[in-house]
Amino acid sequence: MKLLARRLPSGVLLFLMLAGLALVAFWTPDAWAQEAAGQVEYRSFPVVGSRVVVWVIAQLHLMFGAFVLAVPMFALTIEFIGFRNGDKRYDDLAYEFTRLLSVSFSFTASLGALLTFFLFILYPRLMEYLVSIFDWTFMLYACVFFLEAVFLYSYYYGWGKMPKWLHLVIGLCLNLVGIAIIFIADSWLTFMNSPNGIDAEGNLLSTWDAINNFTWMPINIHRLIANICFGGSIAAAYGAYKFLGAKTDEERAHYDWMGYMGNFIAIAALLPLPFAGYWLGREIYAFSQSLGIALMGGTFSWLFIIQAVLIGNLFLAANYYLWLSMERIHGAERYRKFTKWLLASITVCFIVWATPHSLVATVEEARAMGGSHHPILNVLGVMSAKNTAVNVLILTTYLSFLFYRRANKEATVSWAKTGNIIQFGILAVVVGVVIFLGVYGYFVEASVRIGLSIPQVSLVLFAMISITIIDVFMFRKAKILGPIEWGKIPNRAQYALFFIAITFAWTMGLMGYVRSGIRQHWHVYGVMRDTSVDAFTPTLGYAANVVSVTVLIFFAFIAVVFFLSSLAGKKKLDAGEGTSS
Amino acid sequence: MMNAVKICVFTILVAAFYSYVSQMVPQTVTYPPEDTELGADMTTEDLVAAGEEIASGKGTCLTCHTVSGETGGRFPDLANIGLVAAERKEGFSDVEYLAESLYDPNEYIVEGFLPGMTPISDPPIDLNDREILAVIAYLQSLGGAPTVTLDTELRWQSEENSAGASTSSQASVSGAPSSENLSGEELFTMYACGTCHSVTEPTPLLGPSLYNVGNDLSTAEIYEAIMDPDAVVSEGFVAGLMSAQLRATGFYDKISSGQLKTLVDYLALQKGGS
Repeated sequence: MKLLARRLPSGVLLFLMLAGLALVAFWTPDAWAQEAAGQVEYRSFPVVGSRVVVWVIAQLHLMFGAFVLAVPMFALTIEFIGFRNGDKRYDDLAYEFTRLLSVSFSFTASLGALLTFFLFILYPRLMEYLVSIFDWTFMLYACVFFLEAVFLYSYYYGWGKMPKWLHLVIGLCLNLVGIAIIFIADSWLTFMNSPNGIDAEGNLLSTWDAINNFTWMPINIHRLIANICFGGSIAAAYGAYKFLGAKTDEERAHYDWMGYMGNFIAIAALLPLPFAGYWLGREIYAFSQSLGIALMGGTFSWLFIIQAVLIGNLFLAANYYLWLSMERIHGAERYRKFTKWLLASITVCFIVWATPHSLVATVEEARAMGGSHHPILNVLGVMSAKNTAVNVLILTTYLSFLFYRRANKEATVSWAKTGNIIQFGILAVVVGVVIFLGVYGYFVEASVRIGLSIPQVSLVLFAMISITIIDVFMFRKAKILGPIEWGKIPNRAQYALFFIAITFAWTMGLMGYVRSGIRQHWHVYGVMRDTSVDAFTPTLGYAANVVSVTVLIFFAFIAVVFFLSSLAGKKKLDAGEGTSS
Repeated sequence: MMNAVKICVFTILVAAFYSYVSQMVPQTVTYPPEDTELGADMTTEDLVAAGEEIASGKGTCLTCHTVSGETGGRFPDLANIGLVAAERKEGFSDVEYLAESLYDPNEYIVEGFLPGMTPISDPPIDLNDREILAVIAYLQSLGGAPTVTLDTELRWQSEENSAGASTSSQASVSGAPSSENLSGEELFTMYACGTCHSVTEPTPLLGPSLYNVGNDLSTAEIYEAIMDPDAVVSEGFVAGLMSAQLRATGFYDKISSGQLKTLVDYLALQKGGS
């Protein structure tokens, strides 16, 4: 047995143990008999119920999956940058990010196995139907997952032990396979929301059409971007954790840099995320207005107020971290005077975004307001105002980045003044037009108003891209005013990084809930009803508590990942010390 | 170690904060829609009332439409629809226009709005022809005079659907139990609850009497008592007995959410004969 244990990877061992436990716990002789008679549609789970156990495990699997698929993307990019510019620090950083993957991959695989077992045991009818639609894709998924393991461990263990170009190619393959995994899994879950490729009785007509349903590609893109946000924030949290425990200035400098890089990746990916969200929302409405209205205007409309609080907090914390980061840069003091205005802009946008359309009020308050809509706040609680607020919020955060980027630089090109004026002009015009379109939305019909978000989004993207291009050329041979003193940053900045990571995880949990929850009493929307005892949609407070518990379990597991990754590094350090002595 | 404790506490506080914020918004449990019983002897007035119930419930009409007389919404306001329906589409009576709007909503789009409404005779809304007649009666009543009855024939009606029960696609996929429309009393008998509990006498049997349970427990407590019988055990009774019995008989695997709600509602009405 010991020999067997030594030969099998830990993930596989855990998988087998969990499989055994699940079989012992659920497949009683009674259940076997019922199964044989084809009667069982649902099985119950003790204490928390079937829905909650599947919900929590699925969310944990998604979180680890997001991390494991995202980290190779930016690890490869950083490694490539190091390869191109010859700076070993980048290579070391990419390796340190990758070191977190090994243990995380085992967690992902184990949770995936657990989820599969629970789904087949607790929801046999649903799984039977999904298998009838997606049969060969399950096999493909298993093969691709196996390839992912091969590439991941080759990428990790092959670091520095093979030609760099070959290592980069393996990293590229790892990422391609990772993207394939997420695309396959997304086809299953998006089919449940926006089924396609089936006849009126739910029978399969085309597997490809079932895969390529309305929300498949929007979810793919949204998840890819969100995974990078999430992976970056968790990697930044690792940097923060190591920074707080660092013993030397060198360690502090290294982990400060790591935290900064992780956060930079997370926030850079966060900026285009709302645009991917718009696309997803549009496709949901295009598939079914009922589903769209349930999402944004019905049962779940209040969930988006909670989401606004979360995203608003993310933007606040990200900007706060950037402002604190500028304290370690000589020359950044030139931009400090703008901080209060940036803060004011973020706060106003946050407040507008989080303003509900209708208010929870007592009977007396409702009478005084003349209904559930506040006479003034009502105006801010509609999409015209919220879209405008989000776009300005994104531009404000972008401006903080721009100041950080320029903090210790002074442009030396002859056209620097003109460049600054053009950049300011673009920003001012875009902000002006975005606000104008927001106000204009109040005076036009719904069919016109809905379309206004597209020019708003396009303008913001145009502003960010054009200003960045000008900035890159303007500061190409810039005069450096002073060094960046990595490690000289207050501890509270590290807590900002933890806050961002927790908020990202919580947001992921909440959005995972709503993606699944909008189906309400349907397993497959409009095709297969949920006839279980859990067919009702719980309160948002209940859902939030489940999300919180899931997030806490996730971070408990992540603490184990951090600890084990630190041990791996310690062994190398010890070995190095031994050699040198 | 101190840092680890601080980070741990910080993580718990942040998660608790978000949970707290989430308790501040309205807390609503949404149950699957139930079929509305439409008797053959219903008057038009009854039909209007039933239609209003369907429009705000199973039909989900009021999720998108308003009935306030205000303009500017995403979908047309219905405040005066009974008045304007006859004039909307040339050659269509008010009933025909309303029927087409419900069965085939994208055939005619009101100026200034976008297409996209789901036909309410199809899943996921899936109203049957009788329910749609009730909705039409309700819509007619908004500014006009209702004229439809359950005998009104519409060219969009399907033969099988007008029979009363929803028979569209999902029935074959869902495998929903045929006992879905049983009353609470029938479910009480079917699941053999009466073996241990009495609803007619205050005398306890193997389990406590449910003669006055509607006064003793709230609906939520009755629900909990069924789904988790050991959470609170009445004094003098054995813990674990009911849960073991229900598990052994496969109660939790068999009962649907609709049945459970019917059963809970039935028990909530048991108020000592009062």
